[in-house]
Amino acid sequence: MDLLGISLALFGAALATALAGIGSAIGIQVAGTSAAGVMTEDPDKFASCLILQALPGTQGIYGLLITFFVLNKLGLLGGGGAVAINWNQGLQIFAACMPVALVGWISAIHQGKTSAASIQMIAKKPEAMGKAIILPAMVETYAVLALLTSILMLMGVQV
Amino acid sequence: MSYVYAVSRLRGMENHFLDASFFARLIDSPTLEDALKSLSETSYSRWLGGADGAFDRAIDEEMIDVCKELSQFVPDQELITIFKMPHDFHNVKVLLKSLFRVRGGDLEGRRHELLSRLGSIPLEELITALESEEYAFLPWNLGDIIKRCWLLWEQAKNPQHVELLLDHHLFASMLKLAESLDVPAVVAWVRNKIDAENLRSLVRLQRMNYTAMDGEPFFHFGGNLRPDDVARLLNEPVETWGNLLSHTDIGSAFEAMGDRSDLRAALSDVSRALDEHLIRVLESSKYATDAPEYILLFLLNKEAEAQALRIALVSVANDLDREFTRRLLSHVR
Repeated sequence: MDLLGISLALFGAALATALAGIGSAIGIQVAGTSAAGVMTEDPDKFASCLILQALPGTQGIYGLLITFFVLNKLGLLGGGGAVAINWNQGLQIFAACMPVALVGWISAIHQGKTSAASIQMIAKKPEAMGKAIILPAMVETYAVLALLTSILMLMGVQV
Repeated sequence: MSYVYAVSRLRGMENHFLDASFFARLIDSPTLEDALKSLSETSYSRWLGGADGAFDRAIDEEMIDVCKELSQFVPDQELITIFKMPHDFHNVKVLLKSLFRVRGGDLEGRRHELLSRLGSIPLEELITALESEEYAFLPWNLGDIIKRCWLLWEQAKNPQHVELLLDHHLFASMLKLAESLDVPAVVAWVRNKIDAENLRSLVRLQRMNYTAMDGEPFFHFGGNLRPDDVARLLNEPVETWGNLLSHTDIGSAFEAMGDRSDLRAALSDVSRALDEHLIRVLESSKYATDAPEYILLFLLNKEAEAQALRIALVSVANDLDREFTRRLLSHVR
């Protein structure tokens, strides 16, 4: 068995979850800090703040999804034994993980900042909740595009 | 605590600001009792009670409480200190003038009722320091300046010289503190504050027919405008000041003056325009989620609210012309 191939693939899968997860954690922290500030003055805004705080968390889920895809492709789920892949196939899987890992990491941080701004917006104008959700959701678009790219690339890799 | 938290919390606190419609209702109150009833529905209610005239104390208490609350979550306390510094210097002036009177033989000369509790130095400690001449714990090199104030007083017995020395030191200390904070907007605000003070002095000195040469010592260093340039305006006709200052941002405040020849009336308009300009300097932080200068902007807006409230209540208490009061408070948003 070519261990370099499977190592590269697993490294890519690990980065997909790790980088996107780190980004989400930072994004949620920024939005959560803002939510705590607003809720100190107005605890009734908990529901609105929670929705906005949760938005940067999706990138971490996308990263996990891609990791499952990779593990499934490698036959590491279900106990059936690993599929043999060469270093070239391993590198392809590694590359396929990168869109969700990198875009997920960066976009989650920026989505967190946008969510923080939206939370500050509903602190003053609670009636603008709809608009407040749309603004950070625009950042989400690029995380979704990265997820689709990673899925399509993974589907294209022959093992 | 982070600035994201602080700014978010302040945006929540801003919802308790009194708005233009409240002030309109307050001014239209037939009696002070009715006005205080309206005020009792606001955050000021905690401090109301006692005699009708106690509203002044309630306004002070609210301001002190807001500063205390902010100090619990603002990451850099110096931002609050920079706001409080003028109150500390005001207290030093009051205490020094009291001591000048007492040591001059007027044993009833202490005017401690004029002291502001909004300063950053605890009042009791400040009083003890000045009375006992133990200045070691005083910040911003105040001890040395107070010693110089005593020398000046002994030489000329002119309280104006003492005030001027303290004002020069106040602005120099504010600028030094702002520069140490490394927040460009706060430095810009202090520089504009110095300019604003110089321009207020300019109008006052013009009223007293000072020339550029006599007036120059009254202007402070550290602003965007050089003191000698401001002093030179004293030799120019008032109508040309707007044009001469048009290349500066702060010069727009003189548009409020127009071609009015009544300098006393113009001073209040210019003064208000300068206050608004100072708030505008910091308003760039209005849309930032984590701008440190937002703390200062919040405090200035709260101070403006307190000032407007005081004007409105004094007007109602003394049954002044409501239209005049409305004009005075036309800037309230």
